[in-house]
Amino acid sequence: MTELGVVDIREIYRTINDTYGYDFSQFAMTSFKQRLERLMIRNNISNTENLINKIKSGDEFFDLFLYEVSVPSTEMFRDPSLWRWLREEFFQEAVAKSLSKFRIWVPNCVSGGELYSLVIVLHEMDLLEKVEIIATTISNKSIEYIKEGRYDLKKLEVSIENYKRFHGHSDFSDYYKLDRYYAFRDTSYLDSVEFRKQKINFDNSPQNVRLILFRNNLIYFNPTLQEKVLQHMFDCLSANGYLITGIREQIRNAGTGKDFEVVNEAECVYKKRIAV
Amino acid sequence: MDYKAVIIGGSAGSFQVVTRILNSLPKSFPMPVLLCLHRLKHVRSGFVEALSLKSNIPVDEPYDKEQLKPSRAYLAPANYHMYLELANRIALSTEDAVNHSRPSIDLAFITAANAYRQKLIGIILSGANKDGAFGLKKVRDNGGVTIVQDPNECEVRTMTQSTLQLTPVDHVLTTDQIIKFLNKL
Repeated sequence: MTELGVVDIREIYRTINDTYGYDFSQFAMTSFKQRLERLMIRNNISNTENLINKIKSGDEFFDLFLYEVSVPSTEMFRDPSLWRWLREEFFQEAVAKSLSKFRIWVPNCVSGGELYSLVIVLHEMDLLEKVEIIATTISNKSIEYIKEGRYDLKKLEVSIENYKRFHGHSDFSDYYKLDRYYAFRDTSYLDSVEFRKQKINFDNSPQNVRLILFRNNLIYFNPTLQEKVLQHMFDCLSANGYLITGIREQIRNAGTGKDFEVVNEAECVYKKRIAV
Repeated sequence: MDYKAVIIGGSAGSFQVVTRILNSLPKSFPMPVLLCLHRLKHVRSGFVEALSLKSNIPVDEPYDKEQLKPSRAYLAPANYHMYLELANRIALSTEDAVNHSRPSIDLAFITAANAYRQKLIGIILSGANKDGAFGLKKVRDNGGVTIVQDPNECEVRTMTQSTLQLTPVDHVLTTDQIIKFLNKL
């Protein structure tokens, strides 16, 4: 296996930026290196030069590249206590009583685990009609993958356990079918979701969003980019909009942290604070 | 030699050993201690509190990109990999489990070895999985100091024995000897 050095990685950044205008240079170096090495193994690419040539070869490989350097969500209903809170404390108030459609944005969808958990919760609360969900992804392959519904069996087992801890209202097996190697999620629940392609700089972001579900994505950025992205999320939220991050992503460290107030500390739920 | 960090990996049977080590370190231990211990994915709280009870140095589960400080211990949080990033920072990740583990000891050790090279001390303790063996080899390949708990003392030997099969190490030590070694740093 090739181990990539800092010089190799910088060259890869440069190639991507020159060819496609995507700037990866502020991604967290260690994770990005791991993703690149993994991608090289999976696609039989033996060295940096070959990878660079493949990247330059055109959109088809580059879309695969974008898909494979992104980290998919781990399993459905990760942190069941957050999902319970959303159901019992949040959606009941915020969505059920909302006069207009409640806009939710799930940025950087890679495998759809978070998105699918979200639609299940809303479906079980009979609130799918009251929301407008926008899922953005950086690769077309992610959209295809999510719409196909294929799900890794290894992740299914933990998802089932998580759903039990969430105290879901159904039997989790209502939501998928098994074949020999995969589970297939019932994608009819995604019918009302709008999928949008985004670049890694979050162009094309929805505006006036009431809730952004953005867990365990900031960890893949360096502190400078984290701050920039948080500012962007802040701008996309409506007045009193909510942002949810992963439980080890501390936005108080970031420069924009002062603009968010903590709603639920344990689950990292923040609310946009409007300057008076 | 001026070391930058100690990293400890363990699984089944390592809790008591880690507790004893933390209990015996001086309050002014001159570097950070990174702890990558296998734990239940869905149990977020309790572990760091249990380790803190008898520890002489503060034990925390770090936030992403947190800066490491000496005289503190950092426990890999449940269901995250813990990497060493440039500039002495922790980076967390939710990538796939490695050796069925997240946190994976291999990944923590590999990234720490890349960051600190010969200035790292790696210690593998009792455990029922081979996770950690390759990681300690990487510490050695980068010139760091490698220590394995004496398998005869381990509650479960799989982890230490797999490590010793994969790589030569600098020391095979009992818990008491590990404690003595660390106290001389």
